[in-house]
Amino acid sequence: MALPLQPGLTPTEVAFLCEMETVTVVPRQRLESLPLISGPTPALRPPHRSPLPLWLALLLKRQRRANILPPPWLHPQSLDKILKYETETSPEGFSPPPPHPYLLTTRPASTDTISPPFLPSSTAGAPAGYLPYHWLELGEILLEACPDDLPDPNRIRTQLRDLREVRMAKIRHRTKDLEGGGITSLRGVGAMEVSEGRGFIVGVMDGIRKLGSNREVARREREEYEGGEGGISDEGEEMEYE
Amino acid sequence: MSYYDLDSILTDGQKVPTTIELEVPGLGYLDNAPGRPLKAGTKVDLPLWLSQMLAVSAYSTKHIADLEPPSCLAPRVMNALKADPKSVDIRALSSHFYEFAVRILELLDEVLVYQDACAVLMETWRRRAAEISDHASNAGQNRGGGGMGSTDGVEFLRGLDDSERYLFRAAHDGTKAMRSWMGEMTKK
Repeated sequence: MALPLQPGLTPTEVAFLCEMETVTVVPRQRLESLPLISGPTPALRPPHRSPLPLWLALLLKRQRRANILPPPWLHPQSLDKILKYETETSPEGFSPPPPHPYLLTTRPASTDTISPPFLPSSTAGAPAGYLPYHWLELGEILLEACPDDLPDPNRIRTQLRDLREVRMAKIRHRTKDLEGGGITSLRGVGAMEVSEGRGFIVGVMDGIRKLGSNREVARREREEYEGGEGGISDEGEEMEYE
Repeated sequence: MSYYDLDSILTDGQKVPTTIELEVPGLGYLDNAPGRPLKAGTKVDLPLWLSQMLAVSAYSTKHIADLEPPSCLAPRVMNALKADPKSVDIRALSSHFYEFAVRILELLDEVLVYQDACAVLMETWRRRAAEISDHASNAGQNRGGGGMGSTDGVEFLRGLDDSERYLFRAAHDGTKAMRSWMGEMTKK
């Protein structure tokens, strides 16, 4: 019997991981620093902005103790720009992810390997016009939790749906030119999109691998055979030199 | 391929035209002549697991059986797949078409134009997969609507073989999980 669990993460799990993203809040009440496992939170003093993990921000928002500042890329203008990039500038590829906030140099640094959700890609200081790794789930969560903090929630909602449609169509289209090696690049694809497309893409690749398997075996045998020939002739030459 | 894999067991049961090169006593019922021996040179349809074993084993330098490409891999089918993969009813050819084709290609690499058949099958799989994903992401959305082209889709989906049905299911499950999560988000 097959294991009933699907490989990969379900949308709910991806959304759970997304709650570790840092967002910027504007507190309405004072709150002392909390000693959490991931480190102490900054002490909240209204009206100073502070960065908080999304789950804590949602909790405070629900209790009306804070307002969430939406990240700049979730602004309708920024989404318009991204949508335009996706449909007109580059109808084949995905819009690029935000640039790495820590300068990448030739010398390896400990900040090089930091990845979402530990990058500040959804705070108020994040760059506009780039979709971060958790864009879809973060957008949906914010739309659900704090539509009053967003500039134009209905427009943002339709824009997010449009973006999702366009990008999923691209992911599906890409499987047409799949080879046995796999998808060429997933740069700029978000966590939720990977979760949605995983079953299909893995299935297609599996099928191609099976169909190409005996061709692969034949090629390897031929190479081995030719390699053996080469080895023998090399030995022969050595013998001659001696 | 696991020992308990039902699909590989079912693939093993697909019939292959086999020519018996040796007279076998008492097996005449395979050729509608019960009670008599099966004569050498008779062509019978045998399941893959049996004909494979007969084809690879030898009886004193003589092959016991000779395989022929089955009808589902005939040049006619290959040409149809090359022309338009989406219009071929693969399920009518074989319920486990791709797996069966791979097994046959393993056995008959000289008989079929080998590389070509492999390339055609891969291209077919790729093109049909794209079509499947389009249907899977739209399935269940316009239920009861039955707009333009919906009968076309039904026709295509009926012609999927088993591995393609799994693919359809995988694609559909992804979309469904996503849609239900987004629905939950908006409902709350």
